[in-house]
Amino acid sequence: MKDFILKRMASIILPFICIYGFYVILHGHVSPGGSFAGGIIVGLSFIAYSTIYGIEKGRKKLPEKVLVAAESYGTLWYGIMGLVGIIKGVPFLANKLAGVDLGVPGTLNSGGLISFIGFGVGIRVASTMVTLFFTMMEEE
Amino acid sequence: MISAISTNLPVFIIIAPLFVAFVLPTLAKRKRLVENLVLSVEVLMLLGICYLASIVLFRKDIPIIYQMGGWPAPWGIELKVGSLGTFFLLTIAIVSLPVALFARGNLTHEVGGKERIARFYVLYLLLVGALAGMALTNDLFNVYVLVEVATLSCCGLVSARNHPRAAKATFTYLILATLGSCLVMGGIGFIYIITGHLNMEFASRELSIIWQNNPRVVWMAFSFMLVGFGVKSALFPLHVWLPDAHSVAPSPASAILSGLAVKGYIICLLKVLYNVFGQTLMQAYSVHKILVLVGMVAIIAGSISALTQKELKRRLAFSTVAQVGYIFLGFGLLNTRGLAGALFYLASHAVIKSTLFLSAAAMQTATGKKEIKDLSGIGRKMPITAAAFTVSSLGLTGIPLFSGFVGKWNLLQGSMESGSILPISVIIAGSVLCGAYLFPVIRIAYFETAPEKDWKDPNLPQKLALILLSAVIVVLGVVPGPFLELANRAAAELLVLR
Repeated sequence: MKDFILKRMASIILPFICIYGFYVILHGHVSPGGSFAGGIIVGLSFIAYSTIYGIEKGRKKLPEKVLVAAESYGTLWYGIMGLVGIIKGVPFLANKLAGVDLGVPGTLNSGGLISFIGFGVGIRVASTMVTLFFTMMEEE
Repeated sequence: MISAISTNLPVFIIIAPLFVAFVLPTLAKRKRLVENLVLSVEVLMLLGICYLASIVLFRKDIPIIYQMGGWPAPWGIELKVGSLGTFFLLTIAIVSLPVALFARGNLTHEVGGKERIARFYVLYLLLVGALAGMALTNDLFNVYVLVEVATLSCCGLVSARNHPRAAKATFTYLILATLGSCLVMGGIGFIYIITGHLNMEFASRELSIIWQNNPRVVWMAFSFMLVGFGVKSALFPLHVWLPDAHSVAPSPASAILSGLAVKGYIICLLKVLYNVFGQTLMQAYSVHKILVLVGMVAIIAGSISALTQKELKRRLAFSTVAQVGYIFLGFGLLNTRGLAGALFYLASHAVIKSTLFLSAAAMQTATGKKEIKDLSGIGRKMPITAAAFTVSSLGLTGIPLFSGFVGKWNLLQGSMESGSILPISVIIAGSVLCGAYLFPVIRIAYFETAPEKDWKDPNLPQKLALILLSAVIVVLGVVPGPFLELANRAAAELLVLR
């Protein structure tokens, strides 16, 4: 696309969309939304980038290797957070029992492991959205 | 360290294949490493499951309950390691290890390209993990999630073959399986509406008190569950997706789909029927009669459809429809003997059908032909493959000394106890029909002259897989001991009146 206004506006807005996505991911346990919705917003910022600036540029920003790694390790991160409980001698996915500080209810630091788990899920959802988009665009 | 592993073993058995599945995509280029990882996680699963089984067998007290995250039952998710769960876990481990070994031998040309192998194994391990979860979970919504994971990985496994027919079969399967998932979800929703619980024990306790107040809702839940799981486990009138999907999938995939995936849904249905609704409700709504009837129709119709097939893999796929009928028939008999027979038959069919599919795949790869009449004289040229095929078809028919016999014998005794003559005659007729569609293959393989062609047995891992599976068939037939004991105990636990 050769639209100057669109490109300039996108370069201003897209970083904020991306950061907003991470905001939604990290506030999943205290506000509406969560890792899935936030992950989609993060993925959307990259999808918008590659529709506006072209697929090749989008691919350069997020090579396939990075996407695959993000997808795999994002999910693995969830499992590893579950293992924290087992290492501490309590069941899988334990949160307070594993001795994690639950913080003050209603603030950002209040979910223990939940926000960490959410981060992994968010990364995974974002990279899956982008992978889906690239697959559909490149397949005729 | 050791104690941490042994106390958390139930959850490790579920998450170990999932963990490996999540790592595999990043290792896609290193084929050997991927295969070794898959095999080692399968071996570790087998060891862990054997340990659990020995605990359950020799420590005859209440089942091991594992609370996820340390939350007690009505709030948290429970894993329950009882006789039924261990029994199905053992089946999973026994079947999935040789199938993974076989996949190591022949996958490259079947999925088209080295990079796709890692993807195949991802789906394979996701399926195995989901099945292990189905065996252990004690929570209705967990059942739904695992059913979805298994369904989607099954669809992926079918479409792993690089062929337009595979795409079409996958699409049909995806649509019907999604319909099934929706119905299962609806059924779980109805149970949740009237009981307010998702934990199976709590829901069952609540149901036994209030079912008379909401007879229609219970009826809806029953029918949604039956049809939903029926579609997924290829119960006769709902089996239309199975022959295509199972005959075009890559051979290790068709072995595990026909052998294990279908059984996972059956185990879920069994848990829902007996652990949630319970025997009293089944009798009140005559569900057991429906199960027996549908099972009988499935046996006859599946066997006759199998008889008319000319392609070997399609014949085996239709045979699965018939064998699922036996299992459903056993579920409806409502006595320990019949239920134990059905469970044992489920396990033995899992082993037998995977052997059949794997040996058929080996023959197909060697000859390049799909139809049965082209296999003449293959018994001399591929002795191990043909022997595995023979052993497993004898087992499926129910000849003594092979594992199918023990299951069918118990099923027959169960139907005698239930006092009706029709199931008995249908089981015997089904066995005769089974012989009628499998023995011609053996006759063609051994007693007809072979064309002058260079057909050879497959390579070492594939041969090893076939030998292992055939050995299991014979061992289960000769000394069913602990396995039958587990099945008996599981049946007795399921039939306890609440």
